Amino acid sequence: MENCRIGVYICMCGTNIAKIIDAEAVKKSVSKLPHVELVETYKYMCSNPGQEMIIHHIKEHKLNRIVVAACSPNMHERTFRAALRKAGINQYLFEMANIREQCSWVHDDPKDATEKAIALTRAAIQRVELHDSLESLSVEMCPTSLVIGGGIAGMTAALELADAGHSVYLVEKNNHLGGNLARVDLTAPYLYSARDLLTERITRIKTIDHIHLHLNSKVTELTGFVGNFRAKIYEQNGKTDGNEKLTEVKIGNVVVCTGYKEFDASRITHYGYGKLPNVITSFELEKMIREGKIETKEGKIPKYVAIIHCVGSRSLEFHGYCSRVCCMTALKYAHEIKSANAKSYISDIYIDMHAFGKGHEDFYRRSSEAKTLFLMYEKNDRPVIRRAGPKDDCEMLIEVNEKLSGETIEIPADLIVLMVGMEAREDSAEVARLVNISQDKEGWFIESHPKLEPVATTTDGIFIAGTCVAPKDIPDTVAQARAAAARILAKISKGKIEVDAIYSEVDPDLCSGCRFCNKLCPFSAIEFDEKEVHSHVIAAMCKACGVCVAACPSSAIKGRHFTDSQVFAQIDGLMEVVHFAE
Amino acid sequence: MEKTKPKIKLAVYWAAACGGCCVSVLDVHEKLFEVVASADLVFWPIALDIKYSDVEEMADGSIDVTLFNGAIRNSENEHMAKLLRQKSRILVAYGSCSHLGGIPGLANFSNKEEIFKRVYEECESTVNRDKIRPQPENKVPEGILELPVFYNDVRPLDRVVEVDYYLPGCPPQTERLVEVFMAIVTGAHLPHKGSVIGAGSKAQCEECARKKTENKQIKKFYRPWEIIDDGITCFMEQGILCMGPATRLGCGHRCIAGNAPCRGCYGPVSDDSDPGTKMMSAISSIIDAKEPDDIEKVLEDLVDTAGTFYRFSLPSSMIRRKMI
Repeated sequence: MENCRIGVYICMCGTNIAKIIDAEAVKKSVSKLPHVELVETYKYMCSNPGQEMIIHHIKEHKLNRIVVAACSPNMHERTFRAALRKAGINQYLFEMANIREQCSWVHDDPKDATEKAIALTRAAIQRVELHDSLESLSVEMCPTSLVIGGGIAGMTAALELADAGHSVYLVEKNNHLGGNLARVDLTAPYLYSARDLLTERITRIKTIDHIHLHLNSKVTELTGFVGNFRAKIYEQNGKTDGNEKLTEVKIGNVVVCTGYKEFDASRITHYGYGKLPNVITSFELEKMIREGKIETKEGKIPKYVAIIHCVGSRSLEFHGYCSRVCCMTALKYAHEIKSANAKSYISDIYIDMHAFGKGHEDFYRRSSEAKTLFLMYEKNDRPVIRRAGPKDDCEMLIEVNEKLSGETIEIPADLIVLMVGMEAREDSAEVARLVNISQDKEGWFIESHPKLEPVATTTDGIFIAGTCVAPKDIPDTVAQARAAAARILAKISKGKIEVDAIYSEVDPDLCSGCRFCNKLCPFSAIEFDEKEVHSHVIAAMCKACGVCVAACPSSAIKGRHFTDSQVFAQIDGLMEVVHFAE
Repeated sequence: MEKTKPKIKLAVYWAAACGGCCVSVLDVHEKLFEVVASADLVFWPIALDIKYSDVEEMADGSIDVTLFNGAIRNSENEHMAKLLRQKSRILVAYGSCSHLGGIPGLANFSNKEEIFKRVYEECESTVNRDKIRPQPENKVPEGILELPVFYNDVRPLDRVVEVDYYLPGCPPQTERLVEVFMAIVTGAHLPHKGSVIGAGSKAQCEECARKKTENKQIKKFYRPWEIIDDGITCFMEQGILCMGPATRLGCGHRCIAGNAPCRGCYGPVSDDSDPGTKMMSAISSIIDAKEPDDIEKVLEDLVDTAGTFYRFSLPSSMIRRKMI
């Protein structure tokens, strides 16, 4: 180790630290430690004069290690690292001791708190002695993107990226674009035609040269890391002629827009879906509407139509969540059925009417005025459907324990529409593995922060948008798709990406190829070199979590900036003071 | 007349150990002639009739190489370690006990009182009505009889004296011993002081011929007799705990080659690491269960966890011993 010269700064944080901790006592206790050149106390170390003092001392006293005992490193580590850079020394030759959040804010005995502050500061001093100068990596950002899924989300993201002038590979597993939206007639609440929403987009996608559309295709492999992914696209054109094609592409970012599938209504056996011919799902009704004919299986115009909400949603047995779009879609059906056949009687059997979106409440009010019979049922007290008798003028009867009136009401029905909710697609686990993202217990993809990072994931360069994240309506889906595209465009315009200097690395001279670590990395940053028979960490993908470091039985993997010797030195520093106290 | 090289002076000593290390020295077989041709054995209690007092009379540094096997269990071991250090130019910690504490080191999971109580009072084969225990000094009509003082701790050699080299193994591979010995005799370039010699620099897996894949997740541990080993797949992937990944190579992976998992006698791969802790940490990383109860269930099948992970290394490990 080069001649170590440590500068130690004890911050009072106004009175935040000083009111409990005796900064002078901390100073006195650490000033005689080996390699400590100078110790200063100061009112606000993070202030400009505080930082200037560090810079000045580094130059004046040739300091090469700095310890600041102040607040949490989450708060000001970056500030002080910048000061080190400014003074011309490596920013990692720095350590913070948290004597505010971990000390003055949580203790009220000045003596004990001061002792703890001394321990934390000594620990930081012993640790910083062993710090290495580290350099961060810079890697190229490939401006081409991959969008998986050709529904409204995928198309929107692809167009947004392409409109900015960048190439996009758009991979759709079906033989046409549009996803679930292509199965819909009108959209709630403004009754725009879904076809109109889609056609313009599909046409543009097909005419823009730098959108490479792959229909009947699947992404079968994704390797690499942000800015430098490689994907394999497997294309099967027509199942009979066996015309297969495997394309390998280089991309910088990925947007996953794989959408949802509808709940399988036959899982709720007592609704009789699949057994009673005129119990149909919302998508089957949608198909009838698109074909221009709402009729029963027997070809008759239904006199009584009943719509049952929350089929598979908001239930303990199936999915606890609300699927968000069904309430408004049900109102839309009431409207469409009435338009097709003004004489129809419509009953709408719901748990709660969720009308939270823009224009939704208004739509609900208008629907209520259009003579739809609304019946409220209790969650988990589902309406009961049975065949009507020969004397009834309807095919089926529905018994509802109506919540508002408190009475059991029987209503007639010729056609029953089940508002099936959204659920994660059966191939979502496969997609999650492919792009290395996580799923929640329902199978939805997990965002990196539910409020502040709704389209990013824990894997850099992988974004998620639309209903593969959670049920949502078209405006939210489009907003997410555009947000994902915007995040990618920001990265592309920066050109290069900085990779933090703190990552783990495998010492090839120590790795014996036991392969314990291979599957443990949550970021898929570890690859195994079959030829050299050792494992390797891709620095750009590593997030320095340390899982592999802990798992390596032969100490071949080292966490940069968190080496065993650094951590032990820190612990020793703490323990020495404990011995003192005893 | 042919000019003969001066012979080097060699000593071998046996402290708290089983004796296997001394036997391993004899296992050089016909190479013994080469050894004897270039070395004079000046002290080797198992083979030569030499008293401690003879060693005390030797000049300091007059022994070229001492192979010290066995851990430091009592005052006699400590005395001899210090004496041989003083008399030897090169002191080699020979074998696991001297290197890491070894099997005797497992006694650090007890203390002196517990050991004495068990051995001199409770043991099924002990009849000791007066509960007599060994005394360091015992007056008899002829004078005072002395016994070494039994310590609370077992220590590896380097906790007592400075060690020049470590030759690991339980026992060390004889071929390695010959190599090291010849290197000293021929004056070949010796590694820096404190090095592990006669061993490789990676873990056992480097040499192990079994097939290793990334599928290391463990759902259940088996003891070797509980399953039929396919002879091809990595032991860990069959659920058999093998210390190989945390153990330095150099033994010729003899246990593994003989279809028995590695027990870890060659010690840690890098000088400053603790193989027991490293292996426990590694194992905890690959247990294929998420809920605490399920994890507990997987771990139940590990018999004698502490003894398995620290079989040879407890006294030199981070935990060193049970709290007294």
